[in-house]
Amino acid sequence: MDGAMNFTIGFSEGVVWGWPIAAYLLLAGISGGAMIISIVTRHFKEEVENSPLTKAGSLIGFVTIAFGMVFLVGDLHKPLYFWKILINYNFHSVMSIGVIAISVYIPLTAVMFFYAFEKEILKYFGFLSFVAKLLRPLRPYVEFITLWFAIIICAYTGFLISVLVRFPLLNTALLPALFVVSGLSAGNAASGIIATKFFKEDMHSFDMKVLHRIEWPIMIAEILLVFMLAVSLVVGNEYQKHAFLAFTSNEFGLLFWGGVVGLSFLIPIIFNLLLGKFTSHSRAVYYFTALSVIAGVFCLRMFILYAGQTFGI
Amino acid sequence: MSNDGRRKFLKGIGLGSLVMSVGSYGVVANKPTTDKKSKHYAMIFDQNKCVGCTDCEIACAKVNKVPKGQFRMIIEDKTDPKKPRERRMVRVSCQQCVEAPCVQVCPSKACHRDNLTNIVTMNADDCIGCLYCIVACPYNVRFVNEETHAAENCNFCENTNLKEGKDPACIEACKYEAIVFGDLNDEKSKINRILKIKDSLRMKPELGTKPSLRYIPAVRLGV
Ligand code: SF4
Ligand code: SF4
Ligand code: SF4
Repeated sequence: MDGAMNFTIGFSEGVVWGWPIAAYLLLAGISGGAMIISIVTRHFKEEVENSPLTKAGSLIGFVTIAFGMVFLVGDLHKPLYFWKILINYNFHSVMSIGVIAISVYIPLTAVMFFYAFEKEILKYFGFLSFVAKLLRPLRPYVEFITLWFAIIICAYTGFLISVLVRFPLLNTALLPALFVVSGLSAGNAASGIIATKFFKEDMHSFDMKVLHRIEWPIMIAEILLVFMLAVSLVVGNEYQKHAFLAFTSNEFGLLFWGGVVGLSFLIPIIFNLLLGKFTSHSRAVYYFTALSVIAGVFCLRMFILYAGQTFGI
Repeated sequence: MSNDGRRKFLKGIGLGSLVMSVGSYGVVANKPTTDKKSKHYAMIFDQNKCVGCTDCEIACAKVNKVPKGQFRMIIEDKTDPKKPRERRMVRVSCQQCVEAPCVQVCPSKACHRDNLTNIVTMNADDCIGCLYCIVACPYNVRFVNEETHAAENCNFCENTNLKEGKDPACIEACKYEAIVFGDLNDEKSKINRILKIKDSLRMKPELGTKPSLRYIPAVRLGV
């Protein structure tokens, strides 16, 4: 057979799902992550008043998923036909399932936003007070459901691309877990920035301490998952071994080592752990490391998508 | 045929047909009908016979109105440069998977399995251009048609020649009988007779997609 019975030409060239999808994956992750963190923290404290963190979480949760949808729909070749998904559901398709989840999640985040900013909203739109009255008793239930949907949103973005058998880097069960964890990490950073910058949260408040505390276990989980992903490729079949080259290639090495490892792991480690004594009181350093983490999580999505689609079978 | 199954069901003849019609319409929408009389169209590409004239490519593009510069099928020259006299051609086109990832992922059911023929085909109007099917296809043989802006694949001319009762365009065009088309569920079909006597391969069978395209590899003469 001479190994000639194979074809190497394809009809669609290069990276088919590009940066808008990566941006969507990032925004969905931030939204879910921020939502999870604010709901859990609020519950844990038995919070009565809306804390800056609650406000930040629901603001981020709502705005980022809405923006994410803009990227997702905008990237379609026929965006005006988006409604076809809504009438022709295919329950075998992760995308259809995701769209169902999003259509529940977005209204939920909108309600969560309403709860968090009830006072502010009623100040200007007093006529909405009857809505507030209706919604108020439901708050614990809405929070509970939103928490679950936030987890689903993070995880589904992983499932969305992990079903693609052509790409070993994507086609792994670790991906949904990695996306939940990295979503938490980006959501954590975004919540901290927004809470302190716009809602006057004190840098050393209880909530900020919580954010700092959970940062580390999240990062350790993220490092472990990335490591396991790489190892699973190295010890895998021919295709998987080939896909491992993504980590060492010139093309994507920088994105991975500089972006993922450098921005999301090394910078926070250096500034918070090693130099913590000198820098932990500085706002500038906090914003810098938090932004670096978010950029790193974006690099992770970019790396997975671009390198994944480049090293196909 | 699947339509018969539905009719029988409506007449309430038996539980068997109930199971059958549920099987083919609902739960396992991606699987072809298992009804005995249903079709399983397949194609053989014989590397011994193909000379690489590309008549099939031209005929395909014409019949299926594929925009210039795009293809539903092409013939790739995989001749080993060290052995230029042993010509090796390979057909590149949709493998008509029985377990088709493209059908499974399409959120709008634009990429679907035709009810009558069981062929993986397109409904261009329902396509939203999300490209999910394109990244899901392990053979990279789908593309977005520049004119319809919908994804498409070789569908054995399901909505063109086949509908008119003709063979697919590539089959009609090939002067060397290098491609054979037929129904695997028909015991007496030519394609089954050939498959019985010749060894054939499927592309990347390890992926579990169960492709319907068979390739007969070139035999080396005079080794
Ligand atoms: S080869 Fe690709 S396009 Fe054809 S049926 Fe299989 S997955 Fe779908
Ligand atoms: S590009 Fe069209 S055919 Fe392909 S999955 Fe999306 S909607 Fe379906
Ligand atoms: S028409 Fe026949 S011989 Fe010519 S390239 Fe196509 S398959 Fe090969």
